[in-house]
Amino acid sequence: MALLELEEVRAGYGPTSVLHGISLEVPDGGVVSLLGANGAGKTTTLRAITGGVRWTGDIRFRGRSLRRMATEEIVRRGIAHVPEGRGICTELTVDENLRLGSHLRRDAPEVKKDYDRVFEYFPVLKQRRRLSASTLSGGEQQMLALARAFLMRPTLMLLDEPSLGLAPIIVRSIFEIIRSINETSQVAVLLVEQNARIALDLSMTAYVLEVGRVAVHGAAAELRGDDSVRRSYLGY
Amino acid sequence: MQEFLQQLVGGLAIGGIFASLALALVLIYNAMGLVNFAQGEMAMLATFVAYALINRGMSYWIALPVTLVLAFGGGIVIQRVVIRPVEKAPILTLVIITLGLATLLNGLAGFIFGYVPRSFPSAFSAQTIDLLGVFISYRDLGVIGVSGLVLLAVYLLLQHTTVGLTLRAAAHHPEASRLLGVQVSWMLALGWGLAAAVGAVSGIMVAPILLLEPNMMQSIIIYAFAAAVLGGIESPIGAVVGGLIVGVTVNLAGAYLPFVGGDLQLAVGLAIIIVVLIIRPNGLFGRAAARRV
Amino acid sequence: MLQRIRRAPPRYWLVGVVVLFFIGFPTVISSFLASEWAQALILAIAIMGLNILVGYSGQLSLGHGAFMALGAYTSAILAHRFKMDLVATIPIAGLLTGMVGFVFGIPALRLSALYLALATFALAVVTPSLIKRPAELTGGVQGIILTQPDPPAFAQSAYGFLTGTAMTSDQWIYYICLFCALILLWFAWNLVRHRPGRAMRAIRDGEVAAAASGVNIAGYKTLAFGISAFYAGIAGALFALAAGFVSPDTFPVSLSIQLLVGAVVGGLASIPGPLLGAVFAYFLPIESSQWVPNQSWIPDQIASTVKNAGPAVTYGAILILIMIFAPNGIVGLLHRGYVALNRRLRGAADRETGQMPPNPQTV
Repeated sequence: MALLELEEVRAGYGPTSVLHGISLEVPDGGVVSLLGANGAGKTTTLRAITGGVRWTGDIRFRGRSLRRMATEEIVRRGIAHVPEGRGICTELTVDENLRLGSHLRRDAPEVKKDYDRVFEYFPVLKQRRRLSASTLSGGEQQMLALARAFLMRPTLMLLDEPSLGLAPIIVRSIFEIIRSINETSQVAVLLVEQNARIALDLSMTAYVLEVGRVAVHGAAAELRGDDSVRRSYLGY
Repeated sequence: MQEFLQQLVGGLAIGGIFASLALALVLIYNAMGLVNFAQGEMAMLATFVAYALINRGMSYWIALPVTLVLAFGGGIVIQRVVIRPVEKAPILTLVIITLGLATLLNGLAGFIFGYVPRSFPSAFSAQTIDLLGVFISYRDLGVIGVSGLVLLAVYLLLQHTTVGLTLRAAAHHPEASRLLGVQVSWMLALGWGLAAAVGAVSGIMVAPILLLEPNMMQSIIIYAFAAAVLGGIESPIGAVVGGLIVGVTVNLAGAYLPFVGGDLQLAVGLAIIIVVLIIRPNGLFGRAAARRV
Repeated sequence: MLQRIRRAPPRYWLVGVVVLFFIGFPTVISSFLASEWAQALILAIAIMGLNILVGYSGQLSLGHGAFMALGAYTSAILAHRFKMDLVATIPIAGLLTGMVGFVFGIPALRLSALYLALATFALAVVTPSLIKRPAELTGGVQGIILTQPDPPAFAQSAYGFLTGTAMTSDQWIYYICLFCALILLWFAWNLVRHRPGRAMRAIRDGEVAAAASGVNIAGYKTLAFGISAFYAGIAGALFALAAGFVSPDTFPVSLSIQLLVGAVVGGLASIPGPLLGAVFAYFLPIESSQWVPNQSWIPDQIASTVKNAGPAVTYGAILILIMIFAPNGIVGLLHRGYVALNRRLRGAADRETGQMPPNPQTV
């Protein structure tokens, strides 16, 4: 039984259907990429998992179906979702955003350790702690979102286009940190990305979505090596 | 000079009352983007509850916190029963619902307690003390003190506790908060409860002055609107500063401008609203919001 | 001509029947009831005006009672001080109030819906004290008493011919109100059907988009304010006529709320809505305290509580329930029922309409 399982999931917005039967799984501690062009349904898949859209089929986390669960409840079970646009609370300070990440936890000493880790990964967040989150640049906001998600000590992280709008050097460092989080804390990652190359570098397996269906899937290494897959679906 | 200072202090006292009610309005505005037109009536009903408790023999200083707790609960109930079903409705529907609520609460108070004005005890004696040549009543000082305490308590709650943090997050960023495990729906209800309790304070402070009757808060709410608008409708600090400024202005206008007199003070409140909205709609502490297209 | 009558849609026949009904109404009811219905018609006129502002151009006003007061007092002062014929003052009062409303519309352009609601609400609360101040002109707290006109000769003879009884002053006033209501309703219907109506609706549904399409936002919004104030002014003047006096206490804030409630409950952005809403707003408070206790199937405790609690509680409760369950008002309910019925009759396989689009982002 995988950590996260999607089975023939269909979802949409009102009368428009976006997902036409997606099945995928994320193993414990694994990193899985969800790739594809704009509009293929990648973001919708993540939203379905955390209850942001109505879906049919089945979505199981740790064996338990997530049907009809409220977003807050799903999140409390150990899924952290960094949405498209990052979801930074701009009315609050950097520190307050971080506290929102850890506010549900009862294990104070561990929380402190995690804060130390976060500031190690992202020293700029420590410097700007007291400032409003709206003063952060795009890259810094992405770091804040990631840090906040990490502080939730989730079992699974859903990351929606973490590289969007960021300079390549920052993207590289962020992905290094994601790798580190996955390896040291055993946090599984389901990664939605348009930048297929860097995503495949990080992942174990990958799924390529096309118009709401899984077109190709398999081990990341294979997909990376397969020329025709790369050219038709990944664009490079 | 003496009289001026007296009027000033009196203005600060009544300003404290305006500030409390304005703070309640700001809290709800932050949570749901709507101005609760029933805030005054909620405060009035809470004051009547305090009256009933005191009449049954409860001491004033016990009845006060008990009333605040009951008001808090009442606010939560109102949010769950009346507001939540229409959370996503357009603003006009919500405005009418709060107006309907105001009518209902007003009628309810009249039904249970009648329309005869009653006197309401004040915790502070009406005696005056001589402070540097100015005569200030204990009552005014008491009102300033209590309002100040309540406002301070709310500030501490919102800025320095986890509950306050989740409240603010739920109010301003409901979607993002949900993804962080915040139970947004309950936070909104909590916001209403808090606002109801804060509003109740203003009712209890004003009742000894105005006499307790169902229509008691109808002019106070206008001043509270003026205070909230002046301070910036999303800013709690603005509500406090706005309340004090409105209180002092209205008092001084009534005392020193002959054509205002006692009965047109309310028009001064209206004038403040209009002037602020024309010159600087976001108030003193508000921020210009970008228009969504 | 005959062809046009034959081809007219069924709705027009319904309107014709309703109009005839209202014309014939006073002949079969008491004079007192006629005066009550005159009040309802007056409310309908004011609500129709408010509807143009709120329903069609999307601006919120909680202060139309103030405009009614302006119209009423203009009429009263002209009649009382300048000895004008009371009926002749009606259009003058309307025009004056309309111009004031138009001027009001200018600063209102800068306010978002919520702030406009706040400002107009404050205006409504302050109106009674503003009226009392210039006591010389307005008669202060006591107000102004007016003499109501007697029915003129032609009306008397027509009425006597049809019913064999004399026409009372109240009934004559009813007909004046009905006449004004019909004209104003017809005018509103035309306004809505043509360019001004379309422009206003475009503004309501998305101001930025409308501006980008070349609609003169400022012009139409202030026009809407002016027209709705004009209607309220006429209603106010008719009110003075029907009541026989004006005083500050006849225009409390609850009047403005009553108007808005009537507009919403009847159904915004519709022509029959205001009339239905006026009937609701006027008769519900009166009837609820009387009707409920008389129903035998309602248990005694509930009935007596409702009766004692008075109109305010029932009114407030019903209002909340309507907003929760039927926010599009009576017209909305009827429309929903019609659509549902239609679908059932024509077969569900017909056009599957998608979800309602979400509410447009209004600032």
